[in-house]
Amino acid sequence: MSKRCFSTLLMCVLVIPFMISMVSAETLKIGSMSPLTGPYASDGTDIKNGVLTAIEVFEQTEGPIPGYDKIELFPQDTVCDPRQAVAAANKLINLKVVGVIGAYCSSSTIPSSETLDEAKIIMITPASTNEQVTDRGLPYMFRMCGRDDDQAPAAAKFMKESLNAKTIFIVDDKTTYSQGLADGVSKNAKALGMDVVTHDHVNQGDKDFSAVLTKVKAANPDIFYMSLQGYSPAALMTIQAKRMGITSQIVTQDATFQPKFMEVAKDAAEGVYLTYGFTDPTTPEYKAFEEKYVPKYGKIAAYATYAYDSTIALLKAIKAAGSTDPDKIKAELMKLDFNGASKHVKFKENGDSGSSYIAFKVVKGEFVPYWEPEKGLIK
Amino acid sequence: MDRTLRLTYKKCEKIYMDSFIQQLINGITLGGIYALIALGYTMVYGVIQLINFAHGEFFAAGGYVGVICLSFFTGLGYMETHPVFCLTASFILAMGYCAYLAVGVEKIAYKPLRKEARLAVLLSALGVSIFLSNGLMLTQGVYDKAYPSELFQGGFHFGNVTIGYLQILIVSLTAILLVALNLLVFKTKIGMAMRATAQDKTMSALVAIGSNRIISLTFAIGAGLAAAAGIMVGLYYGSVRYDMGFVPGIKAFSAAVLGGIGNITGAMLGGLIIGMVEIFGAGYISGEYKDVFAFIILIAVLYFKPTGIMGENIDDTRV
Repeated sequence: MSKRCFSTLLMCVLVIPFMISMVSAETLKIGSMSPLTGPYASDGTDIKNGVLTAIEVFEQTEGPIPGYDKIELFPQDTVCDPRQAVAAANKLINLKVVGVIGAYCSSSTIPSSETLDEAKIIMITPASTNEQVTDRGLPYMFRMCGRDDDQAPAAAKFMKESLNAKTIFIVDDKTTYSQGLADGVSKNAKALGMDVVTHDHVNQGDKDFSAVLTKVKAANPDIFYMSLQGYSPAALMTIQAKRMGITSQIVTQDATFQPKFMEVAKDAAEGVYLTYGFTDPTTPEYKAFEEKYVPKYGKIAAYATYAYDSTIALLKAIKAAGSTDPDKIKAELMKLDFNGASKHVKFKENGDSGSSYIAFKVVKGEFVPYWEPEKGLIK
Repeated sequence: MDRTLRLTYKKCEKIYMDSFIQQLINGITLGGIYALIALGYTMVYGVIQLINFAHGEFFAAGGYVGVICLSFFTGLGYMETHPVFCLTASFILAMGYCAYLAVGVEKIAYKPLRKEARLAVLLSALGVSIFLSNGLMLTQGVYDKAYPSELFQGGFHFGNVTIGYLQILIVSLTAILLVALNLLVFKTKIGMAMRATAQDKTMSALVAIGSNRIISLTFAIGAGLAAAAGIMVGLYYGSVRYDMGFVPGIKAFSAAVLGGIGNITGAMLGGLIIGMVEIFGAGYISGEYKDVFAFIILIAVLYFKPTGIMGENIDDTRV
């Protein structure tokens, strides 16, 4: 084939997508923002998969949104990098999306939400737990997951009451989320009379934690609290801690709530505690989600369920509003009151939807609900 | 009262000593891994003066071939009956695969640019690095892949000090590979050809040394060593992921520069120093600055001795 012929063909192929989008103008566009590459790609992919499942389920159960043929998702990659996140937000603004589900890292959500807010685009985060996400008074910012200033006291209370801990060694990996939460846990633990022996830090992307673990071993605290961004470093740290013969009880947080954690850490994961929002896996809403998600994407992970609920909430509100006017959609979002897959969804004035942190324990490769702040041990 | 105080002091001293030894062992292990990767950088640089940024990706690819082979053997049930055979086979397959991959990369991405400015090859190397790491992501997925084997998971315990079997394996294998490499470079005909090519490609071609073959061989050996490091890292840390090559790649590159790029012994020494400084910096000063310490050493050495600790060999000992 001659060169010219080839390039003409290539141009034709490249033009087709544009032609399609011109023909079917009645596509409802929504965006998602999460890390699809980089160290947190797995967690970000879970979010994207959750959103895709929600669109599929919504189209089946609630039918199309009046005035639109179909709903299309534009997944954007943030790489958990604030600059990339803002770039992704600008791209979504240019695509004229109605709403955005994302981002994953609090450090991405915070700057990108300001960009989206200027363009009056609704943003619902399924995963960013830092307080600042909804504390800045942005009118179009919503949150499906819990808040760190709810998670930290729950974790501290759990360590004090259920594990009778006196000394804690805290390690975080210096992201807005992980360090913020670690500081919160430290503050709450001290308030409850526990002794925070050391609060050390590691770097994102580290694989070798032997130096800090040797310190943990020498300090021999009751609790070794890991606040790390994502399950992957948590799994590595757990394996290395067990191998080094650290006997302190390991407690960690919501970012570790990923079945892959047990797959990588295997036996070392047994008996690890972590705090995560309570989700009842027996509800029909969860079952409906599970039915569609699992065959396509495998085991349900940390934020897929929240991403699913965020998307359902957004689509419900758009349908009820009957327009893409952000203020009307916001009004409808505030009126929402339904059972989601993860929890009962009802937004508060500041955009939060409440936290329900409980402690889970890893038993035989599964996360088992173990303790809740009000009632104590779960039978 | 005085006696209890003295006892407490003694106890503290013991804990302090124990953690010092433990950190030393940690540092040697990490340093060994860096050293193995650094060898590839240094050899390739020695022969064609190219900083092969794709080298970290060979390391990651080696880790992946290792996990695929070991999972396969575990599935067949050979892992319980013939663990040593399975492990050796995985090492050979991974090293062979990465050697081929490196030779291919050299043929496609570096050879056509050999006559161009050095910057062009460097950019090509960066491109290959991005291509390979994203290729790994697309073919192997974004999730961590766990190593199936429970092999060598235990260790020797001396009081509070733990020496893992894997740490011993890493250090001894690194030592064996270094000795073998030194013998190859300085005692064999191939090694002599390599050194000749490094000195002068045209001249060595005139005395019937196929410089293309020698360059391919250098890439193959370097990538093979990186692949061995990849499997060891996979076994040691329990999992691999597609972006695992980036950070160790940078560290190993620093190690090669620190030791004197182009110098094999220098790369080993540089790897050990970077590993030790990192572990001791993290262990005794602060974990968040561990990379800072490693790079401070690098900058300090380069400031006072720009050719690195062992110096960039310009005489006949350069590879």
